[in-house]
Formats: sequence, structure tokens, C-alpha cells
Amino acid sequence: MILGQWYEAGSAAAQPATLSFKEEGLYQLTLENALSYVGHNSTLAVSPRLGNVARKITFEDGSVFSTDNNDAIDKYFSKQHKAYSLLHTLESHSSLVIIALLVTILSTGAFFKWGVPWTSKKIAHALPEKTNQLIAENSLDFLDKYLFDDSNLTLKKKEQIQRHFYSNIVPLSKENREIKYQLHFRDWSDGNLSIPNALALPSGDIILTDQFVKLCKTQDEMDAVLLHEMGHVVHRHTLEMVIEGTFVSVAVMLIVGDSNGLVDMGVGLGSLLMSSAYSRGHEAEADSYAFKHMLAAHIDPASFSHIMTRMTEYMDGHNESNKRKKNELVEEEKKDILDYLSSHPNTKERIDIANQYSLCFKKGLEVCEVKGLQ
Amino acid sequence: MKALSFEGSGSEYFQIWIVNVLLTIVTLGLYYPWAKVRNHRYFHANSVLEGKNFEYHATGKQLFFAYLIAMAIFILYMVAVQVSPMGAIIFPLVLFLAIPWLIWRSLKFNMRITSFSNVRFGFKGTAGAAYVNFFLYPFIFLLAIYIVPIGTAVLIPKLSAAGSVPTWIVVAAPIAALASIVFAIYMFAFMKKKNVSYVINGSRFGQGIFSTELETKKFLMITLKTLGVSIVVMTLAFIILAALAAVTVGLSTVQAGMNNPAAMGPIIAVMYVGVIFASMFIIAYSVTRQRTYIYKNSTLDNDIQFESTLKAKELSWMMVTNLLMIMFTFGLAFPWAKVRMARLTLENTLVSTSGGFNEYMTQKQSEESSLGEQIGDAFDVDVGLGL
Repeated sequence: MILGQWYEAGSAAAQPATLSFKEEGLYQLTLENALSYVGHNSTLAVSPRLGNVARKITFEDGSVFSTDNNDAIDKYFSKQHKAYSLLHTLESHSSLVIIALLVTILSTGAFFKWGVPWTSKKIAHALPEKTNQLIAENSLDFLDKYLFDDSNLTLKKKEQIQRHFYSNIVPLSKENREIKYQLHFRDWSDGNLSIPNALALPSGDIILTDQFVKLCKTQDEMDAVLLHEMGHVVHRHTLEMVIEGTFVSVAVMLIVGDSNGLVDMGVGLGSLLMSSAYSRGHEAEADSYAFKHMLAAHIDPASFSHIMTRMTEYMDGHNESNKRKKNELVEEEKKDILDYLSSHPNTKERIDIANQYSLCFKKGLEVCEVKGLQ
Repeated sequence: MKALSFEGSGSEYFQIWIVNVLLTIVTLGLYYPWAKVRNHRYFHANSVLEGKNFEYHATGKQLFFAYLIAMAIFILYMVAVQVSPMGAIIFPLVLFLAIPWLIWRSLKFNMRITSFSNVRFGFKGTAGAAYVNFFLYPFIFLLAIYIVPIGTAVLIPKLSAAGSVPTWIVVAAPIAALASIVFAIYMFAFMKKKNVSYVINGSRFGQGIFSTELETKKFLMITLKTLGVSIVVMTLAFIILAALAAVTVGLSTVQAGMNNPAAMGPIIAVMYVGVIFASMFIIAYSVTRQRTYIYKNSTLDNDIQFESTLKAKELSWMMVTNLLMIMFTFGLAFPWAKVRMARLTLENTLVSTSGGFNEYMTQKQSEESSLGEQIGDAFDVDVGLGL
């Protein structure tokens, strides 16, 4: 006999009642006033077990029997809800919960570390080349309007760089003949500071800033950076970033679906760290693309580390003149923390790898095995 | 007056939650509707008043298709916003336009799918009123806030380009600025009152009608008091933190640090945490004051009355400890935090039950689609009334 409350269909009024199960799959409901009903168990709708919340048994006429005696109900109805009783078994055994916890943590970690970049790469490369054009469309106009000014380089200089790029560097890329590389020159200034940078749009448009061209001391240095940017285009990194971003936001939405603002704050930081980790992976990939093609074209990979060092020094030097007093130790420490947030791999690491490739180059090798982050 | 109680426990919910997360991950998200139902049912069914509980009646199967559509829309949105600069402007605007509709659909669906003591709730508010409440009023409020900075940014350069600034501008500008600030504060209180009234007056319990009579004046007082408390709390937090910094690292370091942002790192971090805690108290203050006022002036059929005894100190302490718990366990304490919060709010919600609920009957209602509610869920749209 199971004790509980009985509600008429749709009514809030409850009266004490008992439910008992007889042989041959019959139930008997007995109300307070000794009235009783008998029927087949198969006509009953039983709510699934969930922790120890009250169970509701709905009869054919819509009336409801409610009881806290979950175990008794399970005895008779575990077969009706196979999937749900399995769920409850999973939820109520602490060893299973601990396993679930470990599996969850590991699979979440694996999902973000390998699953997201791998799937994004597959999707990015499965999409037609047109997608890249679509993303890049208007991008250069947008940048011109809000970020860039016209280049101040002489026409002769620009033409000379372009000629070299189209005839010597573009042919090195044999992976995807569909990409139409275009070289653009712009000035990018922030206050008095002219920023040295090279950017690649997914369409194959590569933009060099005036200050970058000025900082390049040799043709090899410029070629190294151009190859790095072409690596981004060939590997479709912009597209991958878009897909990765979508993955992360969907996954986050599903896992902390019903959270509040406070949790969201932590999640925002987590997503930021995640996307910079992905972006570091992309930079490393573009680096190694550049190094491999430099070896093939007999360009010393060390020139990549030269231009990187010079660009970093230029930016650091400028920052320093802004704030005179500089505490070396604290600066060092800050850099370590900022590494986690930085979208580029640690410059020292990149230079290390460039130097390893450079050793191969000096031995006259065209293929090189390099240890380090990829 | 009888208080509600919460009969679930953190450890029990943790087990349900972790299984939900696990199954959602291994099914690549397809299990989410079932997980959502189990979460909601757990909190509804464990909320108890005089031995009778709430119940959440949606099933995973029922939510599944709408969920797929909502996810498709969400993914399209995320891609569109990232891919094109125009999409990044247009789509958030479309979302902003859709928010009142999403709130309205969510209210209808969630009320319809919830019962207490075997009787379903309902929501009779209209979509038109939702647009007035959640689009028109916020729009006027934002306009009042931004009119001064925008006016300054547009007018001043134009005038200075024209030569001298006329004297009437020098006099009128501060007056206009002050007037728009006063209007913005009034508008905020007015909007709060209207939003709360829309939700409560539209709500039904069986044939019963919820009603509330609120005054803008009271909300204005709460808003002004909250502003006052904010100033006091933030000033106090700043003084305490500055004193703490001076004592621990020494004043000279702080002074040197002013010229060297890098050295200020730890101090800024402590400040940041201090400001978060202080703002939690301010939020808790505003929420509890409003809740007390709203509950006191709301009834079901002018018969059953409500009261909130939630205090700012308790709520802010709960928010701070929950945040710390979640942070230091990397999110694993989330179920306990949720259960603690549910218990605190329910135990501070009182209902006069002298008349009893026995006369209430579920009314015939059409089935509601869950699509709006699920899109709202995906985009984290929330009425945010803190009821």
C-alpha cells in the first residue's frame, strides 16, 4: 500500500488516498471516503523518477495520485520507463557519478583541445573557395575606412616589391591554385606611432603597412613574413576562427545554459583564453608553413627571427619612451601572464624554432625535423 | 503567512546535473532538451508550500524540434555576426527587435507548463503590451541616457568650428544635461513599475487572477536610495582598499605604481574584486527592496497575499559566497550554489493560505509552442525582474 494524495482532474483540492497493486497488473485506488477504483496498470501514466521529488501518477480520467514513496512506485513501474530508470541509476550511484564527472572533465578538455580545432579545420577545408571571398568581401573597405590611411611609399618601391612577390614568392605556394594573391600597401598609425604589421585576408589579399616595409632590412625578411601570411590564407585560418568561435559559444551555451550573470563573467574569460589558444596554434602553423617554403626556396629562416625581433624592439622601444620608469623584473613577470592572453606564440619560442630551421638551412637541407610546439 | 520551502539538496542535484552535462556532451548537444526538463523539474517539484509542490510539465520530446530550430538560428547568428561587418550590426538589431516577442512567448510557455498543486498557471498578457514594455520604454530610457553625450559630441565640434560658442549654449547645456539625467532616473523607475505590472497582472493560476498595484513614486524612491547606497558603498570600498594597499605594500610603492601600470597589477586585481563585491551588495539591495514592495502589493484574486522577507545582507552574502565557491571549484560547485540560492529565496517567500487553494481549477488553454522560449534560452534573453 502506498500512501499519497489524490487530486481530481485539474483541481487543486487534494484528499488522502492509498494506491495498491494487485496480481495480474491491476491497481486499486482507495479514497478517504472508502470509495475505491480498480483498473489496469497499463492505463496509468507515471512521471519519471528524479531524485526524490514527489511522483505523479495520472489516471485515465485525468485525476492524479501524488506520493513521496518513490521506491514503492519504482518496484512496479521500473519497466515502464527503462531509459529513465537507467538515468536514475546513473544519478544515484556515487561511483557512477564520479566516473561521469571524470569522463565529463576529460571529454570537455579533449573537445576543446583537439575536437574543436580538428573539426573546424575539416569544415573550413570542406567549404568551397567562394566562402573565403564571401568573408573577405568588404573587409578591406572596412579596414580602409576605420583603420588605414593611404600608403606614403613611392610608386617605384611598391612596384618593385609587388613584382618580386608575384614572380618569386607566389609560385612557391603550390597547395591551392585557386587563391588569387594581391599585395596592398597602407599606412596604419595610432597617434604618432606608425604600426609595423602584415595582415592577410582569407581572399588572398595581403596588406603591408608602411612601417613594416621600412623595418625590413633585406628582401629575405619581407619574404619570410609574406610566406607566413600566405600560410594563414592556405590554411584558411580566418574561416577556422569563425567556426571555432561558433563551436565555443554553442558549447558554452549548452553546458552553462541556465546560469546567471556571475557565472557568465567567468565563462567570458574562459572563452577568451580558449580563442587565444586556438589563435596561437594558427600562428605556429603559419610559421612552419613559412619555414618549410623558405627552405625549399633557399631563404635562410633566420631572417624571420631577425624581422620579428626588430618589430618587437620597435614596439617595445616606443612603449618605453611613453613610460620612462621601467622596472625590469615586473615587466618580465607581466609578460609571462600576458602570454596566456596573447594571440601570438611566445616570440622567444618562435625565434627558437626559426633558428632550428636555420641550422637545417645551413646544412643545405630542404626538409627539416623541428622539435617544438606546432 | 506560510513560507515556501525547498526540499532538494546540493549533493542530489549535483548528481543530476553532472549526468546531464555528461549526456549533453556525449550526444553533441542533442540531449539538452531532456537535461533542461530534468533541471527545471528538480527545482519546481522541490518547491513546496504546505505539502503541495510545483511541477514542470514539459517533456524532452516535446521540446526537441523547437530546440533544433532555436539552435540553427543561434548558430546562423553567431556565424553571421563573425563573418560580415554588416551582419555584426544588422543581426544584433534584429535580435533587439525580437526580444519583446521572445519574452512574451517565454512567459506564455513557461506559465502554461508550470503547475502548483495540480493546477496550471497561465499568462494572458498581449504581444503589443510586451513591445511597449520591453521595447518602447527601454528605448526612451536609453535615449534619455545617451542624449547628453551624443549632443555634446555632435554640437560642440560644430560650434567650435563655427567660431565662438554662444552664451545661451553655456547656460542651457548644463540645464539640459541635468534635466535629461533626472528624466532618465524617473523613466527607469517608471519602466520597472510597468514591466513588473505587465508580468504580474497578466499571470493566472487556474481561474485565479494575479493583480498588483504599484506606484512609480515607490520605485523612484528605491532607485534613488540604491544610487545613494552605491555612492556610499563604492566610496567605502575604495577607502578600505586604498588603506589596505597602503598598509600591505607601502604608500611609496603605490605612488611609484601610479607611474608604472605594471607594478599596479596586484593592487588593481584586489580593487577589481572589491568593486565586484560592492556591486553585488548594491544589486542585492535594489532587488530585495523591490521584491519586498512588489510582493506586499500583489494578490491572487484579492484574497491570497504574498510577502518577501529577503534581506540585502543575506542575498549579497549568498551571491558572494556562491561566486567564490564556483570560482574555486572551476564550476563544479554550481549545483550547490543553485540549490542554496533556491532555498534562500523560497524560505523568504511567504503566502497567506487562510482561504486555501482548494477552489482553483485548471482552465482550458491552447497548447503553446516552445520555440520562442527556446530561442530566448539560446540567446540568454531574460525578463530580469528578480521576482
